[in-house]
Amino acid sequence: MPFEGKLALVTGSGRGIGRSIALKLASQGADIIVNFFRHRESAEQTVKDIEALGVKAEIIRANVGDAAKVDELFDTIGSKFGRLDILINNAASGVGRPLMDIDTKAWEWTMDINARALLLCAQRAAKLMEGRDGKIVSISSLGSRFVLPNYTVVGVSKAALEALTRYLAVELAPQGICVNAVAASAVETEALKFYLKEGLVKDSRQLTPAGRMVIPEDVANVVAFLCSEEAFMIRGQIIIIDGGTSVGLFALAGKGE
Amino acid sequence: MSIEEQIKDILARITRVDKDIITRQSTFKEIKADSLDVVQALVAVEETFGIEIPDEEAQNFQNFGDFVSYVENRVGQKEKV
Repeated sequence: MPFEGKLALVTGSGRGIGRSIALKLASQGADIIVNFFRHRESAEQTVKDIEALGVKAEIIRANVGDAAKVDELFDTIGSKFGRLDILINNAASGVGRPLMDIDTKAWEWTMDINARALLLCAQRAAKLMEGRDGKIVSISSLGSRFVLPNYTVVGVSKAALEALTRYLAVELAPQGICVNAVAASAVETEALKFYLKEGLVKDSRQLTPAGRMVIPEDVANVVAFLCSEEAFMIRGQIIIIDGGTSVGLFALAGKGE
Repeated sequence: MSIEEQIKDILARITRVDKDIITRQSTFKEIKADSLDVVQALVAVEETFGIEIPDEEAQNFQNFGDFVSYVENRVGQKEKV
């Protein structure tokens, strides 16, 4: 198994995409640190499901938007394991508002969790990855490059995350660390159900050439590949997972109207 | 200061409303607390009292009184341990 003996931290892995990535890496042999912030029950379920795959799982609560909590998270990993092979920077939050309604509180909350957390986690993770061929993969979204309704602050935070991915890829390369990101279109998760209900996103099934929405496992498959040695020469890239939506032909042809 | 007063202070600071308008019957909407305000209030209360309030529990709070009762209960349990 490709990740046997490896230790992976997946931030925000109680639910949705993070949970799916955690299970995928576990199914390929990795021991997993499940990080969560608000949903303990879901995180405990993820741990159970990981352990059922025959690998080890550890649960650590931390708000990665809080610098002191990031330090505590990595202090715990350092003292308990003394190493880390894979960091999946997945935890995200955001305030869905029109641009004119964004205040500094909404901006800072979103930027701290979605963008600054990658910097702080990568800095601490890099030290634990010394001599271990580490991998860092972040989860971005199409909102970093395309304008989506009520998505300004999240989109901007994801653009920052993508730029940071490129800088990290170059600056951490001498330490043998591969850094990349994936950017998915709307993924069928609990978070999306909320956005659909609130009218913040439209059902994009008919706009997707692949004929269905992206599911968490689609993202997990690509992330697992980026964590493998086969992806060694991919550095600082943002891999789009959208079933062809952003290619734009379907939208331009007026399908789904 | 009572638990209720401390939570009232936290909520008033975050939502920038006058703490005197907050009663046990006040809903978050009436306090002008949006979803981000509520999360930030939960986090601040957790740190103040050294407890954890999962979202699964917080979703059941209908008003400020529910929030206070939950925290009083959890702090009480903690003190017994």
